[in-house]
Amino acid sequence: MDQIEIELPSNVAFTTTSAIHDFIKSSPLQKLVNWGRKNSLWFMTHPMGCCGIEQICVGVAHYDTDRFGIMPRASPRQADVMMISGYVTKKYLPALKRVWDQMVEPKWIMMMGECAISGGPWWESYSTVINMDEIFPVDIYIPGCPPRPEALLDGFIELQKKIEAQQDRTVVPNPADIGV
Amino acid sequence: MTHTTTQITSPPKPSEILLHLGPQHPLQPGPFLLDLKIEGETIREAELKIGYIHKGMEKVFEDRTYIQILPLTDRICYLASNSNNDVYCRGMEELLGIEPTDRAKYLRVLTNELCRIQSHLLGIGEYTTDVGFLTMFIYMVREREGIVSLLEAITGSRLNHNYARFGGVAHDLPPGYKEMALKTLGELKKLVKSHDEMLSSDSVYLKRTKGVGVLTASQAKELGVAGPPLRATGVEYDLRRVEPYLVYDDLDFDVITQTDGDVFSRVKVRLLEILESIYIIEQVLDQMPTGPYKQNVMPYITRPAPGEVYSRIEDPRGEMGMYIISDGSDKPYRFRIRGPAFATAQALPPLLVGTYVADVAAIAASMDSCTSEVDR
Amino acid sequence: MVDENADNEMVDGTRDIIEPPKIDRTIMVALSETFKDGVFDVDVPLPNRAVARIDPGRVKPIMQFLLDNGFDHLSCISGVDHPPDKMEVVYHVTSYSGPLVIALKASIPRDDPKIDSLCDIYWNANWYERETYELFGIIFNDCPYLKVLLLPEDMEGEWPLRKDYAGYPNPT
Repeated sequence: MDQIEIELPSNVAFTTTSAIHDFIKSSPLQKLVNWGRKNSLWFMTHPMGCCGIEQICVGVAHYDTDRFGIMPRASPRQADVMMISGYVTKKYLPALKRVWDQMVEPKWIMMMGECAISGGPWWESYSTVINMDEIFPVDIYIPGCPPRPEALLDGFIELQKKIEAQQDRTVVPNPADIGV
Repeated sequence: MTHTTTQITSPPKPSEILLHLGPQHPLQPGPFLLDLKIEGETIREAELKIGYIHKGMEKVFEDRTYIQILPLTDRICYLASNSNNDVYCRGMEELLGIEPTDRAKYLRVLTNELCRIQSHLLGIGEYTTDVGFLTMFIYMVREREGIVSLLEAITGSRLNHNYARFGGVAHDLPPGYKEMALKTLGELKKLVKSHDEMLSSDSVYLKRTKGVGVLTASQAKELGVAGPPLRATGVEYDLRRVEPYLVYDDLDFDVITQTDGDVFSRVKVRLLEILESIYIIEQVLDQMPTGPYKQNVMPYITRPAPGEVYSRIEDPRGEMGMYIISDGSDKPYRFRIRGPAFATAQALPPLLVGTYVADVAAIAASMDSCTSEVDR
Repeated sequence: MVDENADNEMVDGTRDIIEPPKIDRTIMVALSETFKDGVFDVDVPLPNRAVARIDPGRVKPIMQFLLDNGFDHLSCISGVDHPPDKMEVVYHVTSYSGPLVIALKASIPRDDPKIDSLCDIYWNANWYERETYELFGIIFNDCPYLKVLLLPEDMEGEWPLRKDYAGYPNPT
């Protein structure tokens, strides 16, 4: 396809994504963005095992994560945090990857419980996928079998700290996008 | 229903579409894939695909010593962990030729019934979310926390209790337990009665659940289900009564049945079973004998004589069985888990055929299947 | 005691049962009399448990006989591997009316493990047979849908619960 050349008037300021990121990084705006992100961590209800029960318990009544802005969501497209809350099998891994891909950026992933982290009691089984950290970019590990709701809350608070310290990456622009 | 198959036999015609529910779907307690072939709003064929969290437990258990298996039996179904411990220990006690102490029998009944209560509470809670009654879900989880605390006071753990031992239990009751338990259970009794009233009087709820997903007694028997879905059809089949184990024959309780066999009845059975379990626990706390709570000698390496045993008990979901073959070594030769949720899940596709898409969530959740145990 | 239970528990109103069949150990006598060369090694180790070996070729008539005599609940089908030459299929049959559980064992050759399917007799045999097939490689003749149930499809043919399975412990 022939490239269409557009002549830009000389008096128009031309902003790129990269420039926006650079500006955000160098200004207090990054803090505002991080503040917003860390206080609206919506996690995907995705119970996969024993840990799923604690995940349910932590979302409602009693342990009520709503007070931190952490709410359960049903759809991956609305969620910010995916919790792998159980044992991942060879059969389930493709579906899990797809669910992860359906989530929009920015997104975080938490490993809840021993089964997700290392295979747990079933680490030698023929059906297990271990080394999950090589497949997913894991942010937080919450050990336990299953972890108590307090441990899960602690995991969320650690994730909030991590987000608070986060700097958005500079996206190297594709030359074709900006007409160079 | 006799000849209904469990799978989708042909590709959809132009007037039909294939709807996948899962593997990640909010209505599910765990990952499974429910394929529905629908025409308009009516389900023509259904197929349940399981195995997404198949752990290969039976193979792992063959490579573990008998005592190492004990904590792993919790993880078969985490909501019925005490029942699973108990069925395993009862099997092993038969193989080893030992008998639990009297106090241990009562303690096991106590924890089994507490476990049944919390399992039913969460089961009803998940089900009410699926029929769009989120308030009840929050109530149910709130009430469950009280029972979980009672279990935690005995066993030290919220979920996977690992309480029963060969010939006894792990710990005795903490001091002042009876008063604490009676207080919590008294409150729970009132709350469950009021929830029952709320569910029975809500006209929208009744319209969604009465006459939906009907299973007759003969169909239920043919499909091989047990537990609350069977008792909701009017069959008085409860292993606590049919094959009394521990001290159930000394206790007074009714086998809860309903007659309609629909979604409403299945949930009603669970609600009433909670009240019945509270009644059992009150008797257990009154009649609890003093004495040792476990056998004195508890070897770490157990080598039962060659033989085999099939032990089964009434799980919150139905008939839980374990078939253990010993070859005289310290590890089982074969360990078969017969889960109640497996049988219930198998009965789901024929039950869905002919119903509406909107009722799928209600019917599937009212069967209260536990994916972890289906897949094992 | 067993008989009393059988009478009390038969409250199913939807079927017309004139005389409830007896769910007790007498069934084992009847079974071995009816199938003289098909049922052997009958044993009753516990009051509520009975064990017998059966001829794998006659599993269907035996199960039909049990179903007709009130054993209407197939509890479980398990495979057991006995290398080097044998495999066993164990059927646990019980009843909704009584506590007796009958374990019937059928020995089949390990290099050609085939046995008749029970799906026509007990509807719920379907999943148990599929599970036993994928874990042990035992082929159930005439099973309507003998495909993998729990394992991923590419693991069909590995038969993980056989004793000589090489994939356990998982090398990764």
